[in-house]
Amino acid sequence: MLTLIDYDAGNLASLEGALERLGLPYRLAQGPDEAGEDGPLVLPGVGHFESAKRSLVQRGWWRELPGMVASGRPLLGICLGLQLLAEGSEEAPREDGLGLLPGVVRRLGPGVKVPHMGWSQVTLNHAHPAFGNPTGGWLYFVHSYALEANEGTILTAHHGRDFAAVEARGRTLGFQPHPEKSGPLGLLLLQSALAWMGATRETTCN
Amino acid sequence: MPAKRIVPCLDVKNGRVVKGIQFKQLRDLGSPVELAKRYDKEGADELVFLDIAASLENRGTREAWVRGVARELSIPFTVGGGVSSAEDGRLLLRAGADKVAVNTAASNRPELVTEMAEAFGRQCVVAAVDVKRDPELGWRVYLKGGTQPTERSAIEWLWQLNELGAGEILLTSMDRDGTLDGFDLELLEQASKLPIPLIASGGAGKDVHFLEALEHGADAVLAATLFHEGILPIPTLKTYLAQHGVVTRS
Repeated sequence: MLTLIDYDAGNLASLEGALERLGLPYRLAQGPDEAGEDGPLVLPGVGHFESAKRSLVQRGWWRELPGMVASGRPLLGICLGLQLLAEGSEEAPREDGLGLLPGVVRRLGPGVKVPHMGWSQVTLNHAHPAFGNPTGGWLYFVHSYALEANEGTILTAHHGRDFAAVEARGRTLGFQPHPEKSGPLGLLLLQSALAWMGATRETTCN
Repeated sequence: MPAKRIVPCLDVKNGRVVKGIQFKQLRDLGSPVELAKRYDKEGADELVFLDIAASLENRGTREAWVRGVARELSIPFTVGGGVSSAEDGRLLLRAGADKVAVNTAASNRPELVTEMAEAFGRQCVVAAVDVKRDPELGWRVYLKGGTQPTERSAIEWLWQLNELGAGEILLTSMDRDGTLDGFDLELLEQASKLPIPLIASGGAGKDVHFLEALEHGADAVLAATLFHEGILPIPTLKTYLAQHGVVTRS
């Protein structure tokens, strides 16, 4: 079953609604001991890098996540969730990231409105088995910092400069946009990502 | 630059979407969840819900419909109306709102904007500002749903809100609101100098008005009646804007 990491740094209602619409059962886990043995992990997140990290540390996730990933559990970070998976962020220069995705998160701008808030188009950078080619499709973004595009970048978006919209390393994925807030394309990408990560739909007996 | 956004606005009273004429005759348009789904399907880019009768007593009702909307909607939404503390904001965000709009309470106690920006991130904080033009003094801020005039200069207040930590401005021209004569373009031109996104509100009557507002610096355009009554369907508006070179989400 899919595990949604619940650490008081995210708006879970929309994500839960999206999972329900996709017919994907999930459990909410406040700590790693509630995460079961297998199935994909989803790390949502809004807010500040440092306070989100503090909350993950307090609940034991920060220590356990690298081992869970190393033992083969797929992990998807969304928005600030993606940023926490990177090596670090300019939002909290003294703090390390989890380092499960390559690259560093930097502030957007200058020369553009920050936060980057609204619908932007994505462009395919590297093909990935989880996704087709959504180039030209629109996704919803709300963020002031972004992961620099790098060798693990699947989709890029542009706001003043190109940045990573979808990032992957092994079975760890990150979405900078909010797929649960991005209309039909967002739901499709979320479904594709989770299916590739091994999430299964609810089976019924009829 | 992100796509320009089309934003229907829904007034909510006691858990129902209403259409009001001077707050007197209110017509029931349906439940927030039903209308949210309709607009999601129709191609709206975002929704704004304003609780026009917010009170301590109906807080529970509000959280219930906000939660319902969050579960069903696949686009972002803002909730405002009577938000007077960071705690009010926290409850709405926890129920699933993407952003919270503050208005009168922020004017009375500007630190509220900073407190909310620090607690939730400035992208969650929308500063709603109602303004009316004074022939000599320029645009002035009005409070309490536009019923209470102040001495405050609107343009100065917008810059101050940006400094305080607002992530977006929802700017309503009371001179134009309900007139269907078009947005106050001079006002938008002034306000769009701010480094944060601007939602234009008040005066939309037909397609060209949206085009003008977007060409005069608005990042998003808000309307209620035109969309609710189906006078201007959102897909029709988006096609019109595309024909005139304005990019929206398709």
